[in-house]
Amino acid sequence: MNDRFWGALAEVRDPEMPISLVDLGVIYGVEERDGVVEVELTFTAMGCPASEFIVDDVRERLMMEPGVREVVVKVVWDPPWTAARLTEAGRDALEEWGLAV
Amino acid sequence: MPTTAEFEQTIKSGELIESPREMTPEYLRELKHTLIVSGDTELISAPAYYLAAKRAPSINAFMTGIAIIQDELAHAHIAYHILEELGEDQEKLIFSRDPKSFRYPYAFDVPLDSWTELVVANGFYDQAGFCLLGDIHEHCSYGPWKRGLNKVMLEENFHLRNGRTWMKRISASGGAAKDELQRAVDWMFPLSVEWFGLPDSMKMHSTQLDYRLKGLTNDGLRQWWLSTVVPYCEQIGVKVPAHKETRDGKDVWELDYPFPCAFDAEEKRWDFKNPSTWDDVLKRWRARGPRNAEMVAMFQEEFHKFRKSHHTES
Repeated sequence: MNDRFWGALAEVRDPEMPISLVDLGVIYGVEERDGVVEVELTFTAMGCPASEFIVDDVRERLMMEPGVREVVVKVVWDPPWTAARLTEAGRDALEEWGLAV
Repeated sequence: MPTTAEFEQTIKSGELIESPREMTPEYLRELKHTLIVSGDTELISAPAYYLAAKRAPSINAFMTGIAIIQDELAHAHIAYHILEELGEDQEKLIFSRDPKSFRYPYAFDVPLDSWTELVVANGFYDQAGFCLLGDIHEHCSYGPWKRGLNKVMLEENFHLRNGRTWMKRISASGGAAKDELQRAVDWMFPLSVEWFGLPDSMKMHSTQLDYRLKGLTNDGLRQWWLSTVVPYCEQIGVKVPAHKETRDGKDVWELDYPFPCAFDAEEKRWDFKNPSTWDDVLKRWRARGPRNAEMVAMFQEEFHKFRKSHHTES
């Protein structure tokens, strides 16, 4: 049921790096109830300069899904993000871009 | 060192130049000049943006502003680092040059006095930087620079996004905030148009193009900039003095004011009824703008103070 939301979020790119938020491993959970989608996400750093953009992009993309009337984004810091959360595809994309991970 | 004929053949074949051994002295001189303009432009944007980023309306916005400044310093570093590999002294270039001899666009000598002006700079000046660097990234014959720009392009995208998102937000809020945005656009738009230099009709010959240091002419770059900025401004309800025309089946962007024309830097006001000549513009550029010395001093002064006290103590 939540697959389509994960699929939608896989289309949202990090504003700074050529990688999707799902491959970056910052999306911790997606739940939907009565048209309200709740997303738990984190940032790679507490001082992330793109945090506002990321939240806006997540909201905008999920609102495009049929039946969604509200998106609630919860920013969490536990567990903290580490490079181990990158998917294989994410790791490849960053390495190709020139970032050793 | 290759002969001139050998070198021209290499350039014509589309191959990349990888080290000073493969260059003629003329190419080296032109490459250095192009790198200095690029490095100086990125470097000076840091103090210029910082003076305005201090006025950010939230911690989040301030963090974004500071991150952009960090990017700009990193981009400057790429250019100066390559210059060092080509035999220049990076420290001297940055800290010991006279402010007037820095080779960045005149626009940065006019202070950004508010968050609104900063985000318009991100929308306009960073778009200019994106066009100039994007062109170098695609066409530059010097391999180390071409490859060094991979990350720069993505980062410039982030700056543009900050500019565009905020411009849209401020425009949508209407009232006095939107008036302030329009005033910023009114003086910053023509300054950005000027950024790309003399029109092709007056620039008889470009060594930079001959050497494939860049690929587009001044007017080509200016048209690219207009084709991104004008539609966006129209879309968010901000007026800009330019429009699109179709000529011979091609889209051409035309300015609705005499280009060039007179600018009062202290008042931040263009006089569209007062056309000027390119000689006047070049004179204004050479004299530099109101904040040139102050902006360069922002990084030079402390460096020399630190040096002095450091030497006394040791």
